[in-house]
Amino acid sequence: MAINLVQALGAALAGASSREAEGSAPRFKAGDEVVVLNINPSGHTRMPRYIRGKQGVIDRDHGIFVFPDTFASGTGKKPQHVYSVRFTARELWGPQGNPKDALLVDVWDDYMEPR
Amino acid sequence: MNGIHDLGGMHGLGPIVVEKNEPVFHHAWERRVFGMFLPLAATGAFGVDELRHAIERMGAPAYLNTSYYEHWLFAYETLLVEKGVLTQSELTTRRQQIAQGPV
Amino acid sequence: MGENHTRPLSEIEIRVKALETLLIEKGLVDPAAVDALIDTYEHKVGPRNGAKVVARAWTDPAYKQRLLADGTKAILELGYSGIQGEDMVVVENTPEVHNVLVCTLCSCYPWPTLGLPPVWYKSAPYRSRVVIDPRGVLKEFGTEVADEVKVKVWDSTAELRYMVLPERPAGTEGWSEAQLAELVSRDAMIGVAKVAAPGK
Repeated sequence: MAINLVQALGAALAGASSREAEGSAPRFKAGDEVVVLNINPSGHTRMPRYIRGKQGVIDRDHGIFVFPDTFASGTGKKPQHVYSVRFTARELWGPQGNPKDALLVDVWDDYMEPR
Repeated sequence: MNGIHDLGGMHGLGPIVVEKNEPVFHHAWERRVFGMFLPLAATGAFGVDELRHAIERMGAPAYLNTSYYEHWLFAYETLLVEKGVLTQSELTTRRQQIAQGPV
Repeated sequence: MGENHTRPLSEIEIRVKALETLLIEKGLVDPAAVDALIDTYEHKVGPRNGAKVVARAWTDPAYKQRLLADGTKAILELGYSGIQGEDMVVVENTPEVHNVLVCTLCSCYPWPTLGLPPVWYKSAPYRSRVVIDPRGVLKEFGTEVADEVKVKVWDSTAELRYMVLPERPAGTEGWSEAQLAELVSRDAMIGVAKVAAPGK
């Protein structure tokens, strides 16, 4: 059952991408304006609190990945697109944000709605 | 979950301490914890999302007061017991044996 | 290394040993595999890999284009791949934009090119602050970003792993790839530092 030395190094070198070949169709494309849902699930999520309810712009589409919210709880991979979403520092932090600056956060399709 | 791990934008967590010429590992036990990750994942015992969630469930005081590899160790112990790979009593008994020293 | 074998084991050492010995007995972990993985990430994989990627991008414009278009594939051209680097994105610093990386939710980091992350990168102070006050954090690292330069903070909340392609410093015209790679620090590829011009 245990992997041996050669298998371990092979696995390290190969990695284990959570990219999937197929998944739900992308609902967004680069340049689209989006709003992140305001949700507070008690289980695992990769949606940080600081972007919840905030407006951003899709910077790029990274392709299809496993959805951690369902996968961590053993309820399926629910593969879907992940995007870099650009938020202005002002949108996230108000007057404490520098007007020149931006944050780019990787966000799953299910975490957003069109603006 | 709205856990302590979700740190972005918080204030008051202290200064950023940079160690000059930092070694990859600080203690021998950290090496063992790191080195067990891939073999354990390869057995199918857990994936990285479950590992992260186990760390998130450790509770705020413990999360802030323990180091990165202690988080991993906590997650291994938690998940392996939850999944029935080990029992808590096996762990407890073995720790007592080790603490008592070689026979 | 500095571990005194005559002293009693600490609580955490006991926990680790208990876990590992049980897993070995159950046939789930081969200690030789653990040893090999430790050796690989302690001695073979590290930021020198990333520095070679950067130096190649500085000297080969076609490579740079491939690197920015598909980081994973271009990094593999130099032989670097694997766990925590399966899906790489390289972001370029320019006179107009300074990029800096963080993982606010845990400690995601591009292992094949940068090795394992330093403690400060995994720490609560860095993860909490760099998103809300990137310029303040950069200043603490000795990195001044001019007011007119845009700062972009990349929070790796998903399974993409990022690396910064720093700006090539002035005064390195005609340098070889190997010489250039020597200049590139881990911190410059995280984005908390710039690559200093030679002699500075």
